[in-house]
Amino acid sequence: MTGPVLARAAALIVLTAAVALFPLAAGTYPVKLLQEILIWGIFAMSLDLLMGFAGMVSFGHSAFFGIGAYTAALLLPKFPGLLAALVAPAVAAGLGALVIGFFSIRVSGVYFIMLTLAFSQMFYAVAFQNAFLGAEDGLVGIPRPAVLGMSIGSTGAFHAYLLVIAIVCALFLWRVVRSPFGHVLRGIHENEARMQAVGYPVNRYKLAAFVIAGMLAGVAGSLYTQFVGSISPSAFLWTTSGEALLMVIIGGTGTLFGGILGAGAFILLQSLVSSYTERWMLILGLTFVLLVLFAPGGIVGALRGRVGLRA
Amino acid sequence: MAGSDLFAQALNGLSYGVLLFLLSVGLTLIFGMLDVVNLAHGSYYMLGAYAGLALIAATGNFWLALAVAPLAVGVVGIVVERTCLRPLYRRGPLDQVLLTFGLIYVFEDLVKWIWGGRIRSIPTPELLASSVNVWGAVIPSYRLFVIAFGLVMAIGLWLVIEKTRLGAIIRAGVYDSEMTAGMGINIHRVFTLVFAFGAALAGLSGVIAGPIQSAYPPMGASILIPALIVVVVGGLGSLKGSLAGSLLIGQAETFGKAWLPGASMLIIYVVMAVVLLMRPQGLFGRALK
Amino acid sequence: MAQLTRRKFLGGASAIAAGAAAGPWVLRAHAQGAPIKIGLVLPYSGVYAVLGESITQAMELVFARENWTVAGRKIEMIKEDDEMQPPVGIRKTEKLIESDKVDILTGPVHSGILMGMRDKVHNSKTILIVSNAGADAISRERCSKWIFRTSFSNWQPNQPMGGWVAKNLTKDVFIMAPNYQAGKDQLGAFKETFVPAGGKLVGEDYPKLGETDYAPYLTKIRQSGAKAVYAFFSGTDAVNFVKQYDQFGLKQSIKLTGAGFLTEPDVLPAQGRSALGVITGHFYTPLLENPTNVAFVRDFRAKFGGKMPDGFACQGYDTAETIVRALKAVGGNTQDKEKLVAAIEATAFESPRGPFRFDPKTHNVIQPFIYIREVKEVAGGLNNVPFDKVADVRDPGTGCTLPS
Repeated sequence: MTGPVLARAAALIVLTAAVALFPLAAGTYPVKLLQEILIWGIFAMSLDLLMGFAGMVSFGHSAFFGIGAYTAALLLPKFPGLLAALVAPAVAAGLGALVIGFFSIRVSGVYFIMLTLAFSQMFYAVAFQNAFLGAEDGLVGIPRPAVLGMSIGSTGAFHAYLLVIAIVCALFLWRVVRSPFGHVLRGIHENEARMQAVGYPVNRYKLAAFVIAGMLAGVAGSLYTQFVGSISPSAFLWTTSGEALLMVIIGGTGTLFGGILGAGAFILLQSLVSSYTERWMLILGLTFVLLVLFAPGGIVGALRGRVGLRA
Repeated sequence: MAGSDLFAQALNGLSYGVLLFLLSVGLTLIFGMLDVVNLAHGSYYMLGAYAGLALIAATGNFWLALAVAPLAVGVVGIVVERTCLRPLYRRGPLDQVLLTFGLIYVFEDLVKWIWGGRIRSIPTPELLASSVNVWGAVIPSYRLFVIAFGLVMAIGLWLVIEKTRLGAIIRAGVYDSEMTAGMGINIHRVFTLVFAFGAALAGLSGVIAGPIQSAYPPMGASILIPALIVVVVGGLGSLKGSLAGSLLIGQAETFGKAWLPGASMLIIYVVMAVVLLMRPQGLFGRALK
Repeated sequence: MAQLTRRKFLGGASAIAAGAAAGPWVLRAHAQGAPIKIGLVLPYSGVYAVLGESITQAMELVFARENWTVAGRKIEMIKEDDEMQPPVGIRKTEKLIESDKVDILTGPVHSGILMGMRDKVHNSKTILIVSNAGADAISRERCSKWIFRTSFSNWQPNQPMGGWVAKNLTKDVFIMAPNYQAGKDQLGAFKETFVPAGGKLVGEDYPKLGETDYAPYLTKIRQSGAKAVYAFFSGTDAVNFVKQYDQFGLKQSIKLTGAGFLTEPDVLPAQGRSALGVITGHFYTPLLENPTNVAFVRDFRAKFGGKMPDGFACQGYDTAETIVRALKAVGGNTQDKEKLVAAIEATAFESPRGPFRFDPKTHNVIQPFIYIREVKEVAGGLNNVPFDKVADVRDPGTGCTLPS
């Protein structure tokens, strides 16, 4: 193992330990902020698979977040177990991604962005106007599942549960990206025509990536429902996709773990800054502008540059 | 439904479609010609509306505001293009997304800081404050003005782009910027001009839409999606497409609202999905690889 | 010598006795020297920021009048911007309850945020005084003994209007509201008294929320033969609808009426003359002539640069007034929550809207009046001028079972 790789692994282990032990050191509100960062981090990482590796910029990723969230919200009150909490939302989101992906992958570039956006807005419209789904106020009173017979109602228990799932998702994505499948995706991102000429069924690979990303987004959505105990149609909004997009870009596109860092930066900016000043929007906007102009690789890019670790 | 009812709704659809055209033509120019993802398009629309408000407050003259506000927004466009966008042409769409998203927040908060968050509105100019009866259909005279103005604008733009030297330079610059620069034309200045022009058009639509709609700091977001959809349906960078797309959507939305209650949230997305699935490059866009 | 000693002894003994008796009081006052924390979850950014500001300003007016002190304790207001987004609103609620440990929570504007907050508030036994969100459910099946509402339920401004319009204007009405549950609920309340009074629904339509072009709907209204329109719209929808209604020349032949939000001061300046003659029903207008309101308008304008208070400000006033009175009634004791809840429930006072009291059955405000108002030009500009009223409007509270 070379120096930079060891250093990076050590940093990750230290960070994970810090996150795991955070509830012992801090009050409930900061811990809940951290939990929310982990959830959005999973969402952002799944989007990075699409954007950073497969080169597909999707503005409709919130559709799968929402499908996962609502599936959990509908099932958990009746079946408070892991099947309803994790498996069903992932499957439902995956199916949604299969259908939407099948149609969307026919187009590319801006058209792909707009078509995926259209689909998620359609979901929003349906959820907003459907009484069974709670209409504009959404569904409330969702219980957390029992995990291996134990309740995860307390903040500490939920923290452990969430951390385990986040680590599993991150490792899974890391493996996918490093696998032959991941390499093909990167090849498609770099030069789709060449991959096609060589004989790869490009569309099938893209669709697979779309479904995998969608399933993980569904898990993130379900975790969000379990975290808050309720869900509203805003989960489907194009602005939710937009925020995930920003998190990926801020963290560093194509870095995978940048998604969690970006989620952290965004949520902290959005929540903390607004507690101190009315001009939080101005600060947020200027931060983005300055970030783009002076830190093009996102947070991870800046870190790598600073510490001297090459990509 | 009686013929005059049908005609009345078609007229409504035309006025809405023309308004959409004015809203989106600036975006298609920037998108198609500069290949820049300008999510802050709605912000220029908002700046135009507020500049219009300020000018009307100062002079009481709507027509003056209509003429001058777009110029002010164009200047803002020049500043943005030279300071923020120029470094990003080579960097690709993702960075442009983040930057223009940041600009949305910045502009919205600045406007709120200066003018406050209260809802405001540009009053209808006295000359056009009544409604008229056109072959049995009642329509506000202001909307008739919008239709006329929009169609004149469409023809004017087409003439500039297709028939003037400036238009030729722009078209050349879009097609092959290196070659055009190689022929001694200051390509940077052309790009700045096009961007500023696109922003000015958005600002103009902000003033024109003013008497019909409201002005409030987050208003940019409300037209961004419709504008993007029109551009995509029509085909990126195509003036003809922008007009065709907006007129199509105008009629679809209007009749959808009249005949399919409950579906009004969905219509515009369904139209776009259908068009893209049949013609992935939009109605008049260049065929993609 | 003995006398002095006895006096001294008696003096000393009584001092000790007094001290012993006062001891617990002194200790409690010490513990209660800590400020009373009032949390506000409101929008301070976005279009609805003006509502958040109005509500907050009125609360500040009341607290300032009390010198920011109640029962010897300082009042501390902790404001959190919910950005009108449920995820942010819920996050801020958690912060106020768990991190700041507020004694009383107030807000929000957005009904979705309120519904998301409800369980957190109920389960943590935090007292919430709803200062705006009108979701009927909070006074019905989702009521809670910890939750009070000083603003209104969506049902209240609309229900009396149905009968009133049918009797005083016309029986041929076209009704309209944005296509979401709150909109449908509001029109539902209107229909409750409209239909029994002989009203005929000539048309019913639900444009999407955030619609910018109402032309197709206005054309339909003209073609329907309606003699009046009853509409619920708020914010930018209200501005767009009223302006376009006027531009289409409908006002002359088809009277425009609606729930108060159609012409409240947050939208009236933008509507301008296009709102003239519009008739609405609401629990407040700054032109009310009762002495409490006259003083309220005067003080509010003096403190906030001539700004005219609106219904939202009245809601803020009533929220702060309730807090002050209830706290005084329990001597500033925020530890005994049951007592505080009982004190709030019993609060009654003269509000700018009239005699204010809560309905013990639902913890919702009983509207002393729903005033019927018409937009007219008066000294100082356009305003909602009251000319009729319906008394004692209380939410039916179907499905609410509060423990006694």
